[in-house]
Amino acid sequence: MRNLLDFLKDYYHWLLFVFLEVVSGFLLFQYNNYQASVWFSSANSVTGKIYEWTGEAKKFFTLTQTNEQLTRRNLLLEQQVDMLGRRYTELTHDSTVLERHETAFLRQYDLIPAKVVDNTLDSKENLMTIDKGRKDGVAVDMGVACGNGVVGVVYLVSDHYSVVIPVLNATSSRISCAIRNRGSFGYLHWYGGDPSVAYVEDVPRHAKFKLGEWVVTSGFSSIFPSGVSVGKIEQAYNSRDGLSYKLKIRLSTDFTNLRDVVVISDKSIAERAALLQAARDSISSK
Amino acid sequence: MAGLVNRLIMFVVLLLVQVLVLNHVWLLNVATPLLYVYFAITFPRNTAKGEVIAWCFFLGLLIDIFSNTPGLAAGSLTLIGMAQTYLLELFVPRDSLENLEVSVVTLGWGKFSVFGGILTFFYCLVFFILEAFNFFDWQLWILRTICSTALTLVLMLAIESVRAKR
Repeated sequence: MRNLLDFLKDYYHWLLFVFLEVVSGFLLFQYNNYQASVWFSSANSVTGKIYEWTGEAKKFFTLTQTNEQLTRRNLLLEQQVDMLGRRYTELTHDSTVLERHETAFLRQYDLIPAKVVDNTLDSKENLMTIDKGRKDGVAVDMGVACGNGVVGVVYLVSDHYSVVIPVLNATSSRISCAIRNRGSFGYLHWYGGDPSVAYVEDVPRHAKFKLGEWVVTSGFSSIFPSGVSVGKIEQAYNSRDGLSYKLKIRLSTDFTNLRDVVVISDKSIAERAALLQAARDSISSK
Repeated sequence: MAGLVNRLIMFVVLLLVQVLVLNHVWLLNVATPLLYVYFAITFPRNTAKGEVIAWCFFLGLLIDIFSNTPGLAAGSLTLIGMAQTYLLELFVPRDSLENLEVSVVTLGWGKFSVFGGILTFFYCLVFFILEAFNFFDWQLWILRTICSTALTLVLMLAIESVRAKR
């Protein structure tokens, strides 16, 4: 007994070492089980608060640039709406239809403005923290966009903060997108490295497009409405198996300077999820 | 007691500097300084091994919580804490004090750089292995390890030179 105690006294640090390494390994490999891990992520309120303070300070210094970007984007969109509206009226001789569409669109989606409090770019699996959470109406799997384009999808939600998987997450981000006005679909995928370049994969061989055309969200999943910009086509490659195209995209969202975003909350999402669940249940019960 | 307070201040300062500033540094798309490893390197000689490991684990864990990488820094830093206590014995000069502080003043520039360099490199190696895990781009991975080690070491020696002058 005495020997045992002596042994423990001399070597307890090895036991402690092994124990702590096991704990770390557990955290490292269990992170996918995300319900339990809010406390070990930047979505908990203490880290969230600290990031919020520094975010406030940083925001102040980038305001000019952000403003400029937004103004430019606004101008562009206004021109586009104006042009399309005129075209539409010319073709249909109905000048109220646009307004009706707009209100119908806004009724379906709730936009929750949020601020990015923390954002990484340097790893292969980047994550982003925003300052709105469950109490503000944010839920898991909602889309996040900014004035210039898509940002990502909500992954973890605490009461006042959420963690977002941005497009710049090589393993977990897959956003369904389409080529504007052409309707060919593909999946947005990022491989790490340059934060302004991503790829659209699985674009069918029969798709027609030109370099420089816009890629937008497809609206197939209920996460994003259709038509949110993603980026411009810069180059096209054949996929490895030769069955589809792979497009190199210059992302329209500037992830290095991202402050103001909106969380897109689709009111029909709960209904769709319930329907899907019901379908799954009926298949599995057979 | 003074030692404990010093440790605690160093803990908080290194934690905040890392998560608020250095985590966002990304020189030439490859080098991120992991300066908090300095905390593990500078434990005095006679500190109980269990104590070193526990400190390292908690610093790593807090950094993980801030940067959304649970277990990554905690696991790697615990390992470095363990390695430090054994590696230090090879570097202390003969007939030195039991509670020798680890700094350029006590070890000299050469020995401190080698000692710090080995541990920093070892740390970056483990950290990036765990982070990349599937070796998806091994050239980038080696480049990141080497550049981050160099950058961290430069920062560490800069801090040491300031502390040595005081």
